[in-house]
Amino acid sequence: MRQDIASSASPGKSAAVAFTVASQLVGAVFLYLILKADGGLQIVGLLALLGLGFFILEKQPWIAEQAMASFARVPLVSMITAGIIVVGFPFIVGSNTYILHLLIVAQLYAVLALALNFQLGSANIPNFATGASYGIGAYVSALLAINFGLSFWLTLPVAALAATLFGFIIGIPSMRTRDTYLALVTIAFGVVVQQLLNNFEWTGGPNGLVGIPAPSLFGHSFADPLVVFGWRLPSQANFYYLSAALVVVAIITAHRLHSSRIGLAWNALRADEIAAKAQGINVAWYKVLAFAVDAFLAAFAGTIYAFYVSYISPDNFTFLVSVTIMTMVIVGGMDNIFGVIVGAFLLTILPEKLRAFSDYRLLFFGVVIIGFLMIRPQGLFPQRMRRYGGE
Amino acid sequence: MAELLVQQLVNWITLGCIYALLAIGFSLIFGVLNVIHFSHGDVAMTAPFIALALVQGSMAVVGVTGPAWLLLAVVVAVLAVGVIGIALDKIVIRRFRDAPAMMALVATVALGIVIRELIRHLYPQGSNPHAFPRLVSGMAFEVAGVSVSWFALLVVAITAILVTLLFVFLRMTALGLRIRAASEDRVVARMMGIRDSRVFRATFFIASAIGAIAGLLFASYAGVTRFDFGVMAGLLGFSAAVIGGLGSMPGAILGGLIIAGIEVLAQTFVPDGASYRLVFVFLLVIAVLIFRPAGLLGRTVMEKV
Repeated sequence: MRQDIASSASPGKSAAVAFTVASQLVGAVFLYLILKADGGLQIVGLLALLGLGFFILEKQPWIAEQAMASFARVPLVSMITAGIIVVGFPFIVGSNTYILHLLIVAQLYAVLALALNFQLGSANIPNFATGASYGIGAYVSALLAINFGLSFWLTLPVAALAATLFGFIIGIPSMRTRDTYLALVTIAFGVVVQQLLNNFEWTGGPNGLVGIPAPSLFGHSFADPLVVFGWRLPSQANFYYLSAALVVVAIITAHRLHSSRIGLAWNALRADEIAAKAQGINVAWYKVLAFAVDAFLAAFAGTIYAFYVSYISPDNFTFLVSVTIMTMVIVGGMDNIFGVIVGAFLLTILPEKLRAFSDYRLLFFGVVIIGFLMIRPQGLFPQRMRRYGGE
Repeated sequence: MAELLVQQLVNWITLGCIYALLAIGFSLIFGVLNVIHFSHGDVAMTAPFIALALVQGSMAVVGVTGPAWLLLAVVVAVLAVGVIGIALDKIVIRRFRDAPAMMALVATVALGIVIRELIRHLYPQGSNPHAFPRLVSGMAFEVAGVSVSWFALLVVAITAILVTLLFVFLRMTALGLRIRAASEDRVVARMMGIRDSRVFRATFFIASAIGAIAGLLFASYAGVTRFDFGVMAGLLGFSAAVIGGLGSMPGAILGGLIIAGIEVLAQTFVPDGASYRLVFVFLLVIAVLIFRPAGLLGRTVMEKV
């Protein structure tokens, strides 16, 4: 056994290539099956399979080690495989707009979860206001588009700017309050924003905003079907690729930040705030920065969501939405980019699929979350040690 | 104007007492377990449903109904919710007492979803609001042209009695001493031979039973109950406990009165205040925590390195 671990630390190049391609294809096929699955028995079967997979991972940790080593060995291959899978997925799904819709929402939630991960995962700062930042992004861009006819591409940065400002404002109390008290401050901000959206005249009140125009790029309206080399994809495919691009941006941002001094400072904050302060880290600034980055990314997701569904209401941005995003980060694995994305996909697709249990789906959802937290409290993919080059 | 003021004063004290009772539960549990029991509001709001079910059940079985049956149902509901609290602690919450704080928070939020959904499915037509009777009716006396109801007096009396009992219990009994010891330092308390499972059981029973009384009073005050009332009840009770200072009993009462006060003030004096009341409540929460980061009566703990 020991020998196995030692030799698996540096797999051969061809083995690594085979492993990365195979594991990503298995993942994609599994995602496809879950999306296609329909009816209680199939879902339960696939969930059992998933549970079994994680059970094996738990018992045989070298599999995960091996996977990580393989991905690190041939990063280019794994990225190209992932790219092909993501680009090719709509072609396989074909005209099934429901599956595309689920994927779009899952990708947007993946971005939100990655945004929150900067705080909850990297720096261990609770934030129950990500839903509010998401809402601010959606409302700002929708209002600009409806009232001033601004194009989607122009509203995107404006919405992000507005939300970042909001992030800074929530960040300010974080300099003084901590833990549970800070959690309440963010809950309070979230409720205030949601209630204001619900009550203001100019945000449409509880009815929300209707008729947000579809964006267009190089003369191609996103409301039209996407035609590629004679393949005709439904109009949702436009937004699928748009949100996929946003996920890529979020991953790159997360990765770059994680390996920068900022990410290091956040990790230091998580480990010990006083020690970090003693090391000369400007604790207050990095805390506020975490809030701002979270809000910035969340606003992007909000803008795409608003233009995608073309109808938003305060109900889309409640306290429970923020809790769901937090759950995604915790269930997926804090400070683990891959884990957070898996968590977001799982928790977006699962409730939809649980519709097979019709009325009992929320109950089931709650039980599943509690079960996850009890059985694997460190998340599906636990955070890994930082590696500082070398061995 | 004077009439309005007195009327609102009565409303404020009634509502404030109910919030204070909810906040005491949050504070008690946090003090002992260091866990935010976010589903406490939902636990509390199961009480009216249990009481209603008992009243209807007794009507179907025995065929009689009356104030005595209602009282019996209420007492049974309070005890039942206390037991539910113990069960939830045993099954779920206890496992998170050493986990990071946010994990316990998320787990108990999920627990709240489960409790609400269970009420919705187990109670006949659980999705609809159900009328809940006033526990006592009629007007007690008149002040400045405003008649004060027996119900308002009942709420104040119950709160005063419960707070006194709790105080006596925590200060004068052996179990109370153990609870205080465990909330001060669980590890040292264990070393002194305090079995913490008993302390947890007692704490959860007391907190949930007091919450149940708050839930019954709230349903009675509103005249109606619904499966999802627990969300707001929990959020407001939690806010009251936090701005008062978690772990502090007088803080919880003060917090409850403040939250209820701002709610009543907003409804009375701000145009369209009823729909904006939550905005005012939570802006106040933010303001309090900016200036008093550990709550109004909370102890500021110096961190030792």
